[in-house]
Amino acid sequence: MKEYMMIFIGDSYEDLGLSPEEMQGKMGKWFEWSNVMQEAGVLRGGHALHSEVRHVSGSKRTITDKAGSEVKELIGGYYIVEAKNMDEVVTIAEGYPDYDLGGTVEIREIMVFDR
Amino acid sequence: MKQDKTIDHLFRHQFGKMVSILTRIFGLSNLETIEDAVQDTFIKASIAWRDEMPENPEAWLTKVAKNRTLDLFKSIKAEKNRAQFSFNGPSSIAVSELFLDNEIEDAQLRMIFTACHETLDPRDQISFALKTISGFSNKEIASALLLKEETVKKRLHRARKSIKDNKVKFEIPVGKELNLRLDRVLEVIYLIFNEGFHSGNPELLVRMDLCGEALRLCKLLIGRTETKTSKSLALFALICFHSARLDSKTNDLQEAIAIKDQDRSKWLFPLIVMGNRAMNLAVEGGEFSVYHFEAAIVCEHLKAKRFEDTNWKAILGFYKQLQQLDPSPIHQLNIVVVLLQLKETAAAKKQLQTISPKDLERREYLYHGCLAEILAEKGQMDDAIAACTIAIELANNKTEKSFLQKRRAILMDQL
Repeated sequence: MKEYMMIFIGDSYEDLGLSPEEMQGKMGKWFEWSNVMQEAGVLRGGHALHSEVRHVSGSKRTITDKAGSEVKELIGGYYIVEAKNMDEVVTIAEGYPDYDLGGTVEIREIMVFDR
Repeated sequence: MKQDKTIDHLFRHQFGKMVSILTRIFGLSNLETIEDAVQDTFIKASIAWRDEMPENPEAWLTKVAKNRTLDLFKSIKAEKNRAQFSFNGPSSIAVSELFLDNEIEDAQLRMIFTACHETLDPRDQISFALKTISGFSNKEIASALLLKEETVKKRLHRARKSIKDNKVKFEIPVGKELNLRLDRVLEVIYLIFNEGFHSGNPELLVRMDLCGEALRLCKLLIGRTETKTSKSLALFALICFHSARLDSKTNDLQEAIAIKDQDRSKWLFPLIVMGNRAMNLAVEGGEFSVYHFEAAIVCEHLKAKRFEDTNWKAILGFYKQLQQLDPSPIHQLNIVVVLLQLKETAAAKKQLQTISPKDLERREYLYHGCLAEILAEKGQMDDAIAACTIAIELANNKTEKSFLQKRRAILMDQL
């Protein structure tokens, strides 16, 4: 078994102009999805990220502060799941609730050298 | 009817959990809003469950509570101009995290320490703890603590206001502050337990819930390295030992049974084992608290296979050490009771005379009960009956009264 990171990319619900009821519905779906993964025993962890972003870049270490709404492809958080291969994670990622809002799941295998 | 009680019990249990979790997210300054939201969840649940209970009601409630977090984000943000927080799907990961068992325990510990913060009036602390951690309704708190509902409401209001005004943080203190606050936490748990164990509250379920809550809270404390002290272990042992006898303490009509007549086979062995284990750890440090001595006393009772086998000499020794450590008229009165068991009537009388009955407050009736026994032992039956009659008048509830009435009938037979 290998571990994979599912990275969630998409704008915040507020920036997308969702109504409170729509947000509520979405959140319900997220909770359900995490339940499904939990029950299947594949969920290894995850974190949500705040939307404020600070970029440090270049040899001069230039600092740029940005609000989440100014960032293209904002990472909202990630889950780590256990799976045999990428394809299996793609199947897991089918439960991701935000495709209809233009959201993306980026799947990456976690690098481990002990085998 | 039975189902209603099950739901009440479940709600009580879940209320504290949910309020604690949500307080971690939204902070103590929003406590009232949070409590209202959780209450509202329960109202919705009882309507939805009218026809059919879900298979796993706890999971059902958790799911609804999780969904409520979003509502709360909205309303609290509008109300308080909260710091910028933008909501997206992955935020649910952080919310879910808080609903994991160990996080729930952490949140509840924070709430216990909040309830025992020194800025709260000690009188308000217990009401607040019962409400916020144990999910008792105002009415249930009133009946458990023998207070008026209005008083409970005032106390809760005062507690919440004090938390807000003093900007109490939702956290477990560290260092010196931890030890100080932990002492009060143990006291409050002890008081909650006593309300359940010793009160004559006719509602057995409420009493059992109080004892169960004390046991649960104490277990949370000893489940964590920083709070697993010799004192908390001793209190846990004490609660286990007492709880083992809870069922044998009353008959089917909820009347008190004297320890002499209790069916010892009804004592719950697993609780005794659990208590013993905690007690062994508690004495390792060699420093003894009131809880150590109280636990030792109950343990002596449990050790005796029959009432006649009770080691009253050992118990007397423990009571004397207890009295030295924490002088109280109740301990003095207990010394009288033990002396009576040892047939040291003269010593019992002398000891009783050092107590002023009014200091015993709600337990004043016990003074007269003991006096009746001393007088009966000396053959002064008329006076004994008179003392017993005063005790009956002063007794707080039916159970105590009927117990004393039976005793008086026996005394009258001996006339």
